Amino acid sequence: MAEFKLNEGRLQELITKLRDAGYRVVAPVEEEGAFVFKEVTEPGQARLDVLRTARSIKEWFFPRVEPTLRYEFDGSAVRCESGLPESPQKTVIIGCRPCDAASLPMLDTLFDWDYRDEYWFRRREATTVISVACDVPDSYCFCTSVGGSPEGTAGADLLMRRTADGGYLLEPLTEKGRAIIEAGEGVLELASGTEEVLVGEVPQRFALDKVKPWLDQNFEHDYWKEISYKCLSCGICAFVCPTCHCFDIQDEADLERGVRIKSWDSCCFPIFTRHGSGHNPRPTRDTRYRQRVMHKFRYYVDKFGVTACVGCGRCSSSCPIDMNICSVVAGVAELAESSK
Amino acid sequence: MSADIYAPYLMRLEEIVDEAPGIRTLKLAFEDEAAGENFSFRAGQFGLYSVFGEGECTFCIASSPTRKGYIECSFQQVGRVTRALRSLEVGDTLGFRGPYGNWFPLEQMRGKNIIFIGMGIGLAPVRCVIWNCLDLRADFRDITIVVGSRNVELLVYKREIRQWEEAADITLVKTVDPGGDTPDWDGKVGFVPTVVEQIAPSPDNAIAIVCGPPIGIKFTLVSLEKLGFSPDNVYMTLENKMKCGLGKCGRCNVGNVYVCKDGPVFTAAELKSLPQEF
Repeated sequence: MAEFKLNEGRLQELITKLRDAGYRVVAPVEEEGAFVFKEVTEPGQARLDVLRTARSIKEWFFPRVEPTLRYEFDGSAVRCESGLPESPQKTVIIGCRPCDAASLPMLDTLFDWDYRDEYWFRRREATTVISVACDVPDSYCFCTSVGGSPEGTAGADLLMRRTADGGYLLEPLTEKGRAIIEAGEGVLELASGTEEVLVGEVPQRFALDKVKPWLDQNFEHDYWKEISYKCLSCGICAFVCPTCHCFDIQDEADLERGVRIKSWDSCCFPIFTRHGSGHNPRPTRDTRYRQRVMHKFRYYVDKFGVTACVGCGRCSSSCPIDMNICSVVAGVAELAESSK
Repeated sequence: MSADIYAPYLMRLEEIVDEAPGIRTLKLAFEDEAAGENFSFRAGQFGLYSVFGEGECTFCIASSPTRKGYIECSFQQVGRVTRALRSLEVGDTLGFRGPYGNWFPLEQMRGKNIIFIGMGIGLAPVRCVIWNCLDLRADFRDITIVVGSRNVELLVYKREIRQWEEAADITLVKTVDPGGDTPDWDGKVGFVPTVVEQIAPSPDNAIAIVCGPPIGIKFTLVSLEKLGFSPDNVYMTLENKMKCGLGKCGRCNVGNVYVCKDGPVFTAAELKSLPQEF
């Protein structure tokens, strides 16, 4: 497929073009000292050089909190209205990394497993994803250990790669990606084919094929206690994770009206699985942390054929006590190797 | 069906039955009659019942699919939503999503002896299949019902237990835990697993359906196994905490099995193969 060139200093013009074409543009934007994906209101806010935003792009498809139902009380009767967005705004996310983009098709399987969650899919359909290949990955990155790549294309409609002259090479991957090229006409030019592309290297940190067979056999193992001993059960790992999708459903109301909301949750919290009776199938930190690792590296593979981790490193870089899922899983691979 | 998988049906509370202290049965009718006519489910399936302003909670459908036009749920008041459910009055509106999950294998049960064992509020999902079988009585051979409770007062479905006791074609055994009897108690005294061993139903051409608290299930399975029941012929329901009921919210799994979609009905053999995390 033909590639296109965005020359140095012309990103703001491209963003303006996209906004003129009716897109809501979302990009890494600084907010109180951190970078998060936000709607760009001034083209200069977008920062494509940010390696790891505080949170992933997940919230643009599956918001942290969203109403699934709004209702009004009328005596003993109730009037309800679905929270499902009729036609979400046409949006382009520009500047996510290939790992974040890869989380999207991974979650498509979950949200379409018999029951199709249109909250997810309507936003998926309305949104174009432009990822930027990583030229300078860091020590938290481990995409290559879970099947990804610093220039992976899974889940992206268009891939941008940094060029040595300070610009970007743009490769459209889908119809939606080609629409971006069209919208950018006048700012983009056809690539010459001689551009030098800058893509960093992410070393492989563990052998994924060793992991699941060991997990299949070792639900009971001292390793779970050892690694989870220091876990605070704070849940930050789940909130920043692009593939964590566990959620809660709660009502909030006053005497006249209310909403039923779906909000992010975490398997690290003790009340996550606690029954009304007080019985808790996962009562301890080790049983909960085991669930986190098992869900991503074993159960999700059994159910959907893919590992539910993209190696973005957010859970590790955000953890207040420096727990690192990459080391944990690398430890599993080592155990698998040594138990041979 | 609505495109919104989280949208509830609106239900009208038709009748309230107080079963035991803190335990109540609600009979619900669909506010939209057409929706009610199109609604069908199978014994063992569950749903999410909601009180607007308070939230949703998960129970089995306790009425039989042979009884059309309404559904029933039985619940024990333990938290915010069950407290709110308990404060509803006849005529009030509530929400229901469902039916979800799998069901008891009525087809395989035909022509067999059926042993129902319900402990405490765990009698609710069993009651659904009991009435389902009784409404199709000729399809089944001997029907034995064992009901157990901590004490006489906490026994649920007292009126129905009386009916089953009086029916000529049902063997009904009721028991309360030691110390839970009253001077006028006319049932057995003893834990359900012990009582099951005493009455010793034959495992030949038989299927057992068991529901109750985890500890009760655990020991009843041991008793059934002693009697010669194959774990493939013992069915039960798991009741894990759920939020969506749709296989998405991520909390009801036992190993790689989602109780809301792969269950809630499992055979003892299936449960044995899972991580013991329920």
